[in-house]
Amino acid sequence: MKRFWSWAAIIFGGLYFLLPLIGTIEFSLRMRRGEYTLDAYRSVLNDAAFRQTFSYSVIMALATIVLGVLIVVPTAYWVRLRLPRLRPVIEFITLLPLVIPAIVVVFGYIRLYNTSSILPLTGTASGTNLLLLFGYATLALPYMYRAVDTGLSTLDVRSLTEAAQSLGAGWVRIIGRLILPNVLGAVMSGAFLSFAIVIGEFTMAALLNRPAFGPYMQLLGANRAYEPAALAVIAFAVTWGCMGIMQLISRLFGVRRTAK
Amino acid sequence: MSFLDLNHLEKSFGPTKVVQDFDMKVEKGEFISFLGPSGCGKTTVLRMVAGFETPTSGSVRIGGQDVTRLRPNQRQIGMVFQSYALFPNLTVADNVGFGLKVAGTPRAERAARVQEMLDLIGLPDLGSRYPWQLSGGQQQRVALARALAPRPRVLLLDEPLSALDAKIRVSLRNQIREIQRQLGITTIFVTHDQEEALSISDRVVVMHRGVADQIGAPHEVYNSPATPFVASFVGTLNRLTAEVLDPARGLVRIAGAEVDLQRPVAAGSIQLGTRPEGLQLSQSGIPATVTGVEFLGAVQRIRAEVEGQPIVIDRFNAPGAQIPQAGDLVRVAGAATSWLPLEDEKR
Repeated sequence: MKRFWSWAAIIFGGLYFLLPLIGTIEFSLRMRRGEYTLDAYRSVLNDAAFRQTFSYSVIMALATIVLGVLIVVPTAYWVRLRLPRLRPVIEFITLLPLVIPAIVVVFGYIRLYNTSSILPLTGTASGTNLLLLFGYATLALPYMYRAVDTGLSTLDVRSLTEAAQSLGAGWVRIIGRLILPNVLGAVMSGAFLSFAIVIGEFTMAALLNRPAFGPYMQLLGANRAYEPAALAVIAFAVTWGCMGIMQLISRLFGVRRTAK
Repeated sequence: MSFLDLNHLEKSFGPTKVVQDFDMKVEKGEFISFLGPSGCGKTTVLRMVAGFETPTSGSVRIGGQDVTRLRPNQRQIGMVFQSYALFPNLTVADNVGFGLKVAGTPRAERAARVQEMLDLIGLPDLGSRYPWQLSGGQQQRVALARALAPRPRVLLLDEPLSALDAKIRVSLRNQIREIQRQLGITTIFVTHDQEEALSISDRVVVMHRGVADQIGAPHEVYNSPATPFVASFVGTLNRLTAEVLDPARGLVRIAGAEVDLQRPVAAGSIQLGTRPEGLQLSQSGIPATVTGVEFLGAVQRIRAEVEGQPIVIDRFNAPGAQIPQAGDLVRVAGAATSWLPLEDEKR
């Protein structure tokens, strides 16, 4: 009886997740009446706007990851090393993006950095890109910080730092050569979560009027029938691909992390 | 002039004085142990030498140079930690060569020095392994090689053996001492284990509540403890209450038996201490009741009570010697010099 219920739960869960996916895939293949074709996919992949927005978002995602690593790794390291009492505070700050909606953040940005402000970032395309990058880095903060902090918890940060210092190493070398490589697995998992978030982000990109993938998906969804379904499947595949790479990398680096 | 000069070091964390007026001169090539219970300030002194803590007052000089304000990475000091602190992402060879790489030593020279160090610690073939593939004892030896590779001026060892099991602890401490002698490097070794400190040091510093109670050779610290704390912390100490009969001559009475200390003592009732090996079973002397006997091979350890005060008597094993049983009434005596008058613990 117990077995029956556990199977029932698995089947119910499976259907709950798989049915919409199967439905979407099935629908995306029905662009021609009476037969299954990949026309919708062809149409999406041939669309220049798809390629532009997708590559724009990929570049933004990579930039977000770099910025995130540069901010989060030294911060999390320093907090663990020198300000352990501040850890709850920093953790709370990094969680704020989950509580404050992106739309609030972006309206704040627009008010602060509009063309009549002292720092008119929205005045130029590159300035707005920069602003969007900062926004993305903020959105990625909770995932990035958590991942890196967990990675650091497996290290004896203080002793490693002191050992390196007594051997003559300075801060840049300690963080770049010792701390970062040892939390690389964690950084990677944070990075791929950030990647997935940035690829699908809509609010910030739309309100800052940047040609990102999110607004493109929305635009396509409002105007076409079959292509959005195909796009959803593609986005889904990309996300799953990211997760797979994340798994792979954390496994590759996990071998070394068994060290104390 | 001394090589390492710790000049009236003081350290406070807020209102708490962790180290008070620590003053010591260490000769080149000396092996010094800081011995004391946890929280006595021994590690803080070590960390001030390393540069991880800044003294509240006082100064540290190495080879005549004042390093008090230098950062740890400018001091040329080798340090070994209780937790090994090997870099997990680097191989053993890269760990050992890390300090040389930081110093910009050319690759070929570095490789030669790394191999020399690995030979020195007796692990010549493990250069390509990662730290997690080594046992605790091996990891600590690699940590030692890493600390020594850049030819530091002073070697600091912060409880390096505490995380290891007993057998490795003894063999590694002898190896550390051997290497230290071979290289002639000035070394400070922090430990809470008195046997460790006594067995390998040139001099021992016994610390208690931030103060160096006594600085001396191991036999001095053991045989003539400067304070009651040193007497009780280093080695086993029997404490007995004595009633003073003649303060000027040093005649006292313990459990009804007269003992002649042959030196003046304070009047009234005093505490006397003796080492377990300073007492013998004898025909006359202080009456005691045996509570148990431990046979330790070379040594017999007899536990007894004198008017409810527990004492321990150590004597060498001798074939044919009669071993007392629990409940036996015996008499114990010691030479006048084996008795140490203890003041009451004031601090």
